[in-house]
Amino acid sequence: MRKKGEERYINFEKTAIFAALALFLFYVVLIMALLTFFEEKGFLEVLLSPDTLFSIRLSLMTATLAMLLAVAVALPAAYALSRLNFPGKKLVDTFLELPMIMSPVALGAALLIFFNTKVGNIIQEKGILFVFEFPGIILAQFATIAGLATRLMKTTLDEISPRYEAVARSLGASAWGAFLGVTFPLAFRGLLSAMILCWAKAVGEFGATVTLAGTMAFKTETMPVAIFMALASADIPKTTILILILTGIGLAALYAVRLVEKRPQIV
Amino acid sequence: MIEVQDLALAAGKFRIDHLHLSLPEEAFNILLGPTGSGKTLILESIIGLRKFQRGRIVIDGQEVQNLPPEKRGISYVPQDLALFPHLTVEENLLYGLRAKKKFRGNSDPHLNHLITALKIENLLSRYPQGLSGGEKQRVALGRALAPSPRLLLLDEPLTALDPAMKSEIQQLLISLHRSLSFTALHVTHDLDEAYLLGERIHVLIDGKLEQSGRREEVFLHPQTIAVARFLGLRNLFSARVLRFDEGERSVSAWVWDREVIIPSDHAAGHLTVGEEVILYLRPEEVMILRPDKPVRESLRRNILAGKIETILDRGNHRWVLFRPAGLEVYLEINLPNYVFRNLDLKEGQEIRVAMRRESFWIIPTK
Repeated sequence: MRKKGEERYINFEKTAIFAALALFLFYVVLIMALLTFFEEKGFLEVLLSPDTLFSIRLSLMTATLAMLLAVAVALPAAYALSRLNFPGKKLVDTFLELPMIMSPVALGAALLIFFNTKVGNIIQEKGILFVFEFPGIILAQFATIAGLATRLMKTTLDEISPRYEAVARSLGASAWGAFLGVTFPLAFRGLLSAMILCWAKAVGEFGATVTLAGTMAFKTETMPVAIFMALASADIPKTTILILILTGIGLAALYAVRLVEKRPQIV
Repeated sequence: MIEVQDLALAAGKFRIDHLHLSLPEEAFNILLGPTGSGKTLILESIIGLRKFQRGRIVIDGQEVQNLPPEKRGISYVPQDLALFPHLTVEENLLYGLRAKKKFRGNSDPHLNHLITALKIENLLSRYPQGLSGGEKQRVALGRALAPSPRLLLLDEPLTALDPAMKSEIQQLLISLHRSLSFTALHVTHDLDEAYLLGERIHVLIDGKLEQSGRREEVFLHPQTIAVARFLGLRNLFSARVLRFDEGERSVSAWVWDREVIIPSDHAAGHLTVGEEVILYLRPEEVMILRPDKPVRESLRRNILAGKIETILDRGNHRWVLFRPAGLEVYLEINLPNYVFRNLDLKEGQEIRVAMRRESFWIIPTK
């Protein structure tokens, strides 16, 4: 006969597994619901239509550029937050989390308002046009993912003992040499999965993009914007197909992250 | 000579100030102190990993405190060894030579000597993950010594090893040091390890360098009460300086309600009459007198009668706690096992103990 405590523990385990399965089921039902409106005949037609292809291309391009820009800033920022001490470090750390909890629409609105200030106007007139333009999409996506990229990369760097670099320095490597030769290869998988996650988040970004760059077809209509527009015009089959495509891209990215993280560190 | 001059640094509330440390060329130096005494802070300052408020670090007459770590010529073996997990043993070994662009191919005699001495020939193509604790230690030592550093810093690298492995690596360190004659600064809180490895011992307590000197000097004759306590010295008694006898070259002190005469070179620092001091004698230097044998002249002056309170078997010796009659003090006595057996001692037994005047040492309290 089982002891009482053991039984209670098994119930606890069962409850936890049930929660995981229920959550999984919840998302499966959502996707299945899409399929009830899915019309196979129209699929290729919608997929290969010029506006869908444009949206896919635009989303992939802007997300990639936004991700690269974010990484270029986030990696050194994450390094500073993980390894160095500087005045205001805690404040910076807190601010970087702001885009994660702030509504994307609010973030986009803040950007839009910024470009209506004097400084913003000068940037628009003498530099790059952001509002309702292609660079606006990249900026909106960048604003949404830069904080996340920094946070994820900081977590990766935190897991790598700073002593590796210390030893490398003592052995004659420069600060750059020690980072590139020791920390970077050790952090590579973590950094790569951070990049993929941020890219996937940028692909799905809607609120900030629509607020700053608008919904102009063949100009600023990314995938999520296209979904919104299709839904607004009550075109359910098109909406469904676009969501499935976006979900496919997202799942592929998440699977890629699992692959990257699963591989053993040293073969 | 490697010198740390007038070092001042702060880490949180902990402070080190006016610290001077001299490491003689080619000596195996031990920085000995309890946990939290600031040993690692000093090490990090010497390597260049920690900014300090004031001070100079001079290696062979060259000030290096403003140089980045890679330009100082100091190798470092941290407590966790930090072998690069993504590199093979061979790549780990060559890391320093490659970083300094000093790699001259696999025929480098120094490198080959190291690989042979460390017995790591068979490990070269393996990754650190698969190595045993001892193998990792040997690779870490090899990696640190491969670029022929001006100074080797070891930050308690042997702490995590089991006793047998620790002893093996200690032997290896001694033989490596003999054959390569590098200057080393080894940080530890382990007294046995310090005694075994150290040619010179620097005792650091609470951020203050309490005593520096040859191993025997420090271990046998601590200069301050803090060092004596840390070294686990037993039999410390409060005493007062009574007078000096220049002719006899001796100091008289008042302890245990009597006058004890001590050779003047057994007193650390400058003493004055009336000064409160600590008097100590090592537990192995207290002699238990046999009732049936006459007492030698040299022992007659310092005899105490009393009772054995406790006897403990410490494996390689017996520890006897002795309480002199009429005094509120205890004396600890270490007896070799064969002496203990000959004397046939029991707890509660009345005995007499004697001490030679050369067994007493004086430490100032200020």
